[in-house]
Amino acid sequence: MRTVLKVVDNSGAKKVMCIQALKGKKGARLGDTIIASVKEAMPNGKVKKGKVVYGVVVRAAMQRGRCDGSEVRFDDNAVVLVDKQGQPIGTRVFGPVPHELRQKKHVKILTLAEHIA
Amino acid sequence: MASQVLPQALHMIPRNQVQPFNPVKNRGFSAFLSRGPSPLTTSKVSVSGFHSKFPVGSSFSCFARRGFVVRAESNPEGEGEAERNENGVEEPETKAEAEVEGEGEGEGEDEAEEEKPKEPRKPRIKLGDIMGILNKRAIEASDKERPTPDLRTGDIVEIKLEVPENRRRLSVYKGIVISKQNAGIHTTIRIRRIIAGIGVEIVFPVYSPNIKEIKVVKHRKVRRARLYYLRDKLPRLSTFK
Repeated sequence: MRTVLKVVDNSGAKKVMCIQALKGKKGARLGDTIIASVKEAMPNGKVKKGKVVYGVVVRAAMQRGRCDGSEVRFDDNAVVLVDKQGQPIGTRVFGPVPHELRQKKHVKILTLAEHIA
Repeated sequence: MASQVLPQALHMIPRNQVQPFNPVKNRGFSAFLSRGPSPLTTSKVSVSGFHSKFPVGSSFSCFARRGFVVRAESNPEGEGEAERNENGVEEPETKAEAEVEGEGEGEGEDEAEEEKPKEPRKPRIKLGDIMGILNKRAIEASDKERPTPDLRTGDIVEIKLEVPENRRRLSVYKGIVISKQNAGIHTTIRIRRIIAGIGVEIVFPVYSPNIKEIKVVKHRKVRRARLYYLRDKLPRLSTFK
């Protein structure tokens, strides 16, 4: 709630603010889907400022534990905008993404990604 | 060695016949305290001076009772028997096995039974050391499959990891070790690297079976144990090709 995240695809938005975490009482973590409101957008983009969108958290500054005992942590909080079905709106994804997304069935984002951490 | 051992045993004999075992033991120790370090317990003298006198006294008191004054092969057994109790001092180098040694064996034999063939006595493991021993064993087991190099903060390492999700190739992670947390088998290192413009820190358990190889590529001189200051610095300092 009220967390401002960076948008790392080319959908047109620059910053979104989380208004709801879809799963989890304590908030969304790496790999979860959120509902967000666009706070800052590029002038010609697919989404405009003030639009309510869904997003998938691809980078989080909070560490996420993996089942083999390792943990991942990124330096910023980033999100990729998706539609209701989970397909990304943009056509490119910038920066590294974790491979937790494979388990959450966000395969499309993984294929578009530059680097899988 | 026998010449030094014999006078101690002879010293103990008259007292044993007069009093029961326990008070004699205490008195015998005070007498032994004044003597120099015994040749039998040379390895343990460094631990505590008091402790090294104990085993000699009690062992020879119980043997003297039964008429064994000096026996070459009885020395390790005698030491093992006496180290079982009294002080909480522990020597890990002798206690490799997990068997609990029969503690009442020495005293029971003194009181009631006649001689029987002595099996070598195993030293008792103290409760507080069990986790340390288990961790050491687990580390040795993992070291046998894959040797782990000595890692320190500031090393630039390359880790080859097998990820069950990836299925095909080994993932390679390169970066600088910014911290190392020692916790026995769950010793972890934190690797930092700039990937595609964003800083990423990953914590790896060093003795994990998923890690196929750890290689130290370079070393950077650092003056800290934890390099968390790298998070605020320029990305250039955390970039490794």
